[in-house]
Amino acid sequence: MSEPEAVFQETSARPRTEGVPFAHLSLELGHLYMEDFAEGPERLRRHFAAVRPWADAARAGAVAPQHGRRRVSTCFLIDDYFSRLATPAELVPPLLDAAEHAGLTIDYLARESACAGPNEPRRTSLAESVMGRLVESPPPGSNGFRPPVSRTGWLANGRRAPAERTSAALDATGGWQPPSETGARGHSVFVDVELWSGSVERRTWSCAFLAAVWQLARLGLLRDRGRAVLTPTPWAADSFPADWDALPPLLRLNPTAAPFTAYYTCSVLPSRFLPVEHAVRVILEQTQVDTGAAGHVAGLSASEGMDLPVGAVERSAYVFPPGL
Amino acid sequence: MLVFAASDKGGTGRSVTSINLAYRRALDGDDVCYLDFDFGSPTAPAVFDIPDVAKEAKGRGLHSYLNGMTGEALRVDVWARTEHQVLRSRPSGAGRLVLLPGDRTGGEFVTDGASLHRCVDLVNALRREFNLIVVDLSAGRSYAMELALSATAQTELRSLKTRWLVYHRWTRQHVMAAADLVTGERGIVSAGVSLGHDKDQLLGAIRFVRAAVPDLGSPQWSQVPPAQFAWMRQCNRELEGIAAGLGIGRSRVLGSVPLEPVLQLQEQLITDEDVLDSRIANIQTWQAIGELAERLADDKHWGLL
Amino acid sequence: MATPEETTRPVLACGEVRTCLLPSSRALSNKEAELLLRLRDDDHVRVSTRPGRHVLSPEILTGVDCRFPLANRAKVRGVGTVASRAALTEGRLLQASSYFRAPVEGPDRRQPWGYYLARPGTLLPVGRIPESACLQGFLTVREEGCLDIGSIAEALLARISRHTGLLDYDVPLRSAATKLWWTARPAAPGEGASLERFTLAEDGVRTVLLRVPRGTEITAVVGLCEDLALHDWLLTTMVEKLDDNGFGSADGTATLRVLGPLVDHLLHLWMPGARVDRTLGAVWEVIEEDPGFSRQWHTLVQRVRDQLALQAVMSQRQALATG
Repeated sequence: MSEPEAVFQETSARPRTEGVPFAHLSLELGHLYMEDFAEGPERLRRHFAAVRPWADAARAGAVAPQHGRRRVSTCFLIDDYFSRLATPAELVPPLLDAAEHAGLTIDYLARESACAGPNEPRRTSLAESVMGRLVESPPPGSNGFRPPVSRTGWLANGRRAPAERTSAALDATGGWQPPSETGARGHSVFVDVELWSGSVERRTWSCAFLAAVWQLARLGLLRDRGRAVLTPTPWAADSFPADWDALPPLLRLNPTAAPFTAYYTCSVLPSRFLPVEHAVRVILEQTQVDTGAAGHVAGLSASEGMDLPVGAVERSAYVFPPGL
Repeated sequence: MLVFAASDKGGTGRSVTSINLAYRRALDGDDVCYLDFDFGSPTAPAVFDIPDVAKEAKGRGLHSYLNGMTGEALRVDVWARTEHQVLRSRPSGAGRLVLLPGDRTGGEFVTDGASLHRCVDLVNALRREFNLIVVDLSAGRSYAMELALSATAQTELRSLKTRWLVYHRWTRQHVMAAADLVTGERGIVSAGVSLGHDKDQLLGAIRFVRAAVPDLGSPQWSQVPPAQFAWMRQCNRELEGIAAGLGIGRSRVLGSVPLEPVLQLQEQLITDEDVLDSRIANIQTWQAIGELAERLADDKHWGLL
Repeated sequence: MATPEETTRPVLACGEVRTCLLPSSRALSNKEAELLLRLRDDDHVRVSTRPGRHVLSPEILTGVDCRFPLANRAKVRGVGTVASRAALTEGRLLQASSYFRAPVEGPDRRQPWGYYLARPGTLLPVGRIPESACLQGFLTVREEGCLDIGSIAEALLARISRHTGLLDYDVPLRSAATKLWWTARPAAPGEGASLERFTLAEDGVRTVLLRVPRGTEITAVVGLCEDLALHDWLLTTMVEKLDDNGFGSADGTATLRVLGPLVDHLLHLWMPGARVDRTLGAVWEVIEEDPGFSRQWHTLVQRVRDQLALQAVMSQRQALATG
């Protein structure tokens, strides 16, 4: 429709979306629990040594236009949400050393708690935002009413087995039924993901859910009322604070790094994270991303002559190397 | 205002009297809806004289809604749908009168978090449109009663004025059972408190309705032999004593409904026509229900004593 | 945003609008309304103050996979999302809309869910749907297992109604909610928007049949239907309040009790077509011609004012007589 624009306009009635720069690939150089850090520098060196060849492979295989420089940024997510055994001052320098020892550079360092809470006053929590964007994939027969996931805290990839008999007395229709995966090929792999625990007022987000938020952040699909979120803070100093909360949520350690957000993500992870990442995909598959953000990335990639898949799931990939 | 009608035993005329109350409040201009939570034996369609409702409600009634089988509970406009001669034309100045029927297919149901949530949503939707919501609960300690208590304890419904009418017949057994339903073990008060209600506030919101009470002053009883009459007076005094001893004496009684053939035999709405023209119902019953309907909405009859 | 497959095939659109008075003793400010309608933390609530106060929630989606309600009883499965949004006008009238677009032809089996999420508010048939049976069925078929769009709209109202921090439920006047069911199909090439039918049915149900120019944004159609529903609700409520009270017999205070809230809360809400997309403005012109919504409204408003003027004279006279 090529209507002339209205003469009178109110900005509050016509929202805009802030753009962000994009790399071709966001490469995650592994993930560790706090306990792994406690094992000392040798453990960290082994980790990055195992990651290195696969990181190189991912870099080489990155989808990018034929001409021009290939933009790949690397990142690492530190778990400061579930436990905080050590301070950033103690923990970060050995981590960076170990990576460097393996010939890897960590461009961006993020805190996992950044995926949960609001990172600035008067901003919304990223996890809360993503939860508001879950649109459950309806099992066949869903005609409009189902309790929203925000209430139950669980998200499945199909139809649950009825928890208990709910039919009236003398009604024989209420026997046991198996769960089923929607769109299964023959047999089901049914997954039910816990997104949070605790009360609605004080939620503890699950690792899987925060990991899904992390993926969406790397894919540049998160906004807060149109504004960019989790924008990197340049960090030139060699030292780090003694308190996690004093550390910005996302640091750019390498001043010449390609942008943090990327058309595709690849995560090189220990295989013990496979179930978590399966859950991440169940979540991403059912997340309706910000239309403004999606339009922005589609436009940018098209201008580079790239044809991006629409779904976040199709834009994220994994490597689970042996020995990691 | 939300009103729950409860009783420990059947045969108290709880449903039929509550329906009459709803009708009278609507005549007075209130917008009233009546919810049939009596999951064992839904009677409202018969009393309102809307024969097709039972079939229509199958799969769409309150049970199905609370069980999550349907997204909305069926609403039936009584003035528009009844086959009752008098009710068919909504009197000028009368409010809305809407029935939310139960459906048998639901039977008993499991009260879980989801049905509690749906119950709160339903009450919120109704209080957007109606100023009196009457909920008829099945007799005894039922899941429906537990649902009522938990729903009204939720923050979303805290501000809603809620009242309980506990019906009992005027006999020793009924008086004792009614007192036990309120203050006994697993009674309304103890269950309510464990679900988050304030004890005094809950107690202050409960009143008793004595049903099928013989009015010894009425001409009906002037014919009985003096000895029998004296014995009845004696029984009546004793019952008053028992009731007072159980904490459900006169001050906790909202009203009494006389022994009324129309309520007992026919289970029907009593209209002014029944009283004035065909004279099948007693004027005392009409007045008693009117008085109940008035007191139901009058704050001075409620609260902790 | 039209997806590629829709440029060639016709797309139908259907929806329901529920309209009710906000359960609150007073009108909400824009700030409060913004909190109330923040259905998604990270999304915009659209606030406009001209020509009247109007706050619009972000759009949320509900996934469905069920039968289309088809008038010819054929069983065609539809998969996709129904979109919903809420609007608050002048901080007073609350509306919840649920709606979807349906191309007459879709993929012949269910696709991965991401396919549907990329087409928000679109319900894709598995196979083909007959156009007229779909439009007619949406307005008439209410069957178990078929799409239940009313429940989706009601769930949104329920969600908003839980904001007891903002809503005190102490309404100045009691009123019934209305439901408006609408369908829209593409107009013939070169033709503008037209209203084919507007029906008042029982139990507060209204039905609207529209034809809209090809390529019209569905949100524009939703906006039109919300505007129709809002003004129909105003008329319905006003008629109900004025008819219900035999003013001749009522004493002064009773009249004031009925008319006062109408003056305080409703009279200033009449603004037909103010927020309607220009391409659809013709629909209001038709309604104003016949039956003439504004004509009826102005007559009702005049009646309210006459009654109040009469009351004033009467009470003055009474004061003189007793004084």
